Amino acid sequence: MAISGEEVARSEMRRIGILRNLLQLRHIREVNVLVALLIMGAIISAFTPYFLTVDNLMGVSRAFSLTAIMSIGMVMVIITGGIDLSVGSAMGLAGLVTALCFDAGYSQSICVAAGICVGLMFGLANGLLITVIGLPPFIATLGTLSIGRGFMYMITHGVPVTPKTPDSFSMLGQGYIGPVPVPVVILLVLTVVFSLIMVRTRFGRHIYATGGNEHAARLSGVKTNRVKLAVYVLSSTISSLAGVIAFSRYLSAEPASGFGSELDVIAAAAIGGASLAGGIGSVTGAVIGAALVGEISNGIVLLNINTYAQQAITGGVILIAVSLDVLRNRLKGGNV
Amino acid sequence: MRTFKNTARAVMVAAALVGGSAAMAKEITIAVVPKVAVPFFDDVNNGAAAEAKTLGVNYQWVVPANTQGATQVKIIEDLMARHVDGIAISVNEPKSVEGIIKQAMKVGIKVLTFDSDSANSGRSMYIGTINKQAGVTMGNSMAKALGGKGEVAIVTGQLGASNLNERIDGVKEALKAYPGIKIVATEGTEDDLAKAVSVTEALLRGHPQLAGIFGISQVGGPAVAKVLAEQEFAADKGKLKVFAFDDLPDTIKGVKDGFIDGIMVQRPITMGKLAVENLVAQIKGTETAPKDIDTGVTVVNADNLGSYTK
Repeated sequence: MAISGEEVARSEMRRIGILRNLLQLRHIREVNVLVALLIMGAIISAFTPYFLTVDNLMGVSRAFSLTAIMSIGMVMVIITGGIDLSVGSAMGLAGLVTALCFDAGYSQSICVAAGICVGLMFGLANGLLITVIGLPPFIATLGTLSIGRGFMYMITHGVPVTPKTPDSFSMLGQGYIGPVPVPVVILLVLTVVFSLIMVRTRFGRHIYATGGNEHAARLSGVKTNRVKLAVYVLSSTISSLAGVIAFSRYLSAEPASGFGSELDVIAAAAIGGASLAGGIGSVTGAVIGAALVGEISNGIVLLNINTYAQQAITGGVILIAVSLDVLRNRLKGGNV
Repeated sequence: MRTFKNTARAVMVAAALVGGSAAMAKEITIAVVPKVAVPFFDDVNNGAAAEAKTLGVNYQWVVPANTQGATQVKIIEDLMARHVDGIAISVNEPKSVEGIIKQAMKVGIKVLTFDSDSANSGRSMYIGTINKQAGVTMGNSMAKALGGKGEVAIVTGQLGASNLNERIDGVKEALKAYPGIKIVATEGTEDDLAKAVSVTEALLRGHPQLAGIFGISQVGGPAVAKVLAEQEFAADKGKLKVFAFDDLPDTIKGVKDGFIDGIMVQRPITMGKLAVENLVAQIKGTETAPKDIDTGVTVVNADNLGSYTK
């Protein structure tokens, strides 16, 4: 039964050709954002010698790696047609719980596990609210965002938690493998793993199918609720990993850690070509999107652009980059 | 006999009345209202409670449950209903408490603000850090550390925060006297440690000549200390002069580790003490023309790290 249901699903998708179109679109999109990233890099290095140095490029990569890691989970949620506003809270609370465990004297592995468990709980709460109770993802994750944020203020009273930690733990956020910072290595590994999952596995195809046309997907045997629960759990868990890495990097769990980062993460996914309507997007696109934003904010400081104009410039550059991307896609679509 | 008894009773009642009214004249009750429960205000409470004990007045510490303006309005209403004689308050929203403070003053309750002001409320006075003055102190400390010349950068928090902008104004005013010192960049961080760290890294890479950094908001100190602890910037340790605000644990650690040269520390204990002292003086009528008080900042460095008072 399961096999025949799966085959029906596949033939259904093949028939409406969602998957093929998606894959084509995805590749074009990624290339466009990558081109924007390179052009922006060329522009910045034309004006400052300090951009194109190993130290700076590695520093920038480390700075945007957390947003990029979170965007991997987010893009999967967005492809199912959902949204996860709670990623910043999951990140912040995970870092805080890890810090509190260190403070209480637990061993390193327990502290990290406790942080990751925070993500699992966020994901289960989001997923169950959305699939069982039927709340819209925006509302469900807005609620858990707020609850998480509230917990952080209740626990910290606004003061950072800074426990003593072993040196081996700080490797996670501060260490290097060769010239590459560890968080960037983690980002690369996650990008490869989740790209393969999205493109090569049945689960990946089900994620696209759920967002492309949930009704059709369900009729063709895709257990859409199970897919949704899974992507919310993945998104929160990945965010909690980012939170543990952030704590390891700064060794200080800030009460406002992760505050507002959901917007950066959603923006990265959208810049990388994900459609907020669902069905379209890619992991590599989201990661490159995060890189583009990180590159712009680094360039703005290096070029000594007036701080009060920075946000407006960042917004403008993002709009130009994404508009060019959309226009080019439209042209290409016309040609094919 | 009966007459005597009655007379005695009358005398006793009269004595009780006189004694009672004398006691009532002496009994002063004041309330101190912080913004919210954070360690800064614990220090205020300690300073205020100790002063109230010294002066022999009844003291209440009333903590709002949240930072909404309406919550403090409700608290002042309750305190008016309980006929306290004086209220000292650190205001969450300057505008929303204006009306109720005016009402309280009208019925004869003395009200002053501390730490965070509501300038148009008609309160008798404000006691707290005058941010611009704190900025001037910071600018002068930097100028002294740099020997009067070099490139400096300002790392602030939210770009719109008025207290931070007042501190920056103060820094700039102090540096006017030192033409050899040039402010080459001002960067916002949204008070986010992660953002502050990456901004500071980019600053140091983009300005290899940088000689000093001002950490205007409380994330500045921890952020610069983290960056200077990195291998890439090891050469800047001790060479780059860093001044920061607020004695958070990581900022204190930055001073201990030699990354931070000085911290501007506000004086919450002094604020609490002066708030009670001035309220009581106003209630007793010994202080008739109160003026605002700048409690100033203590510059904490490696020398007075263990001994500074707030």
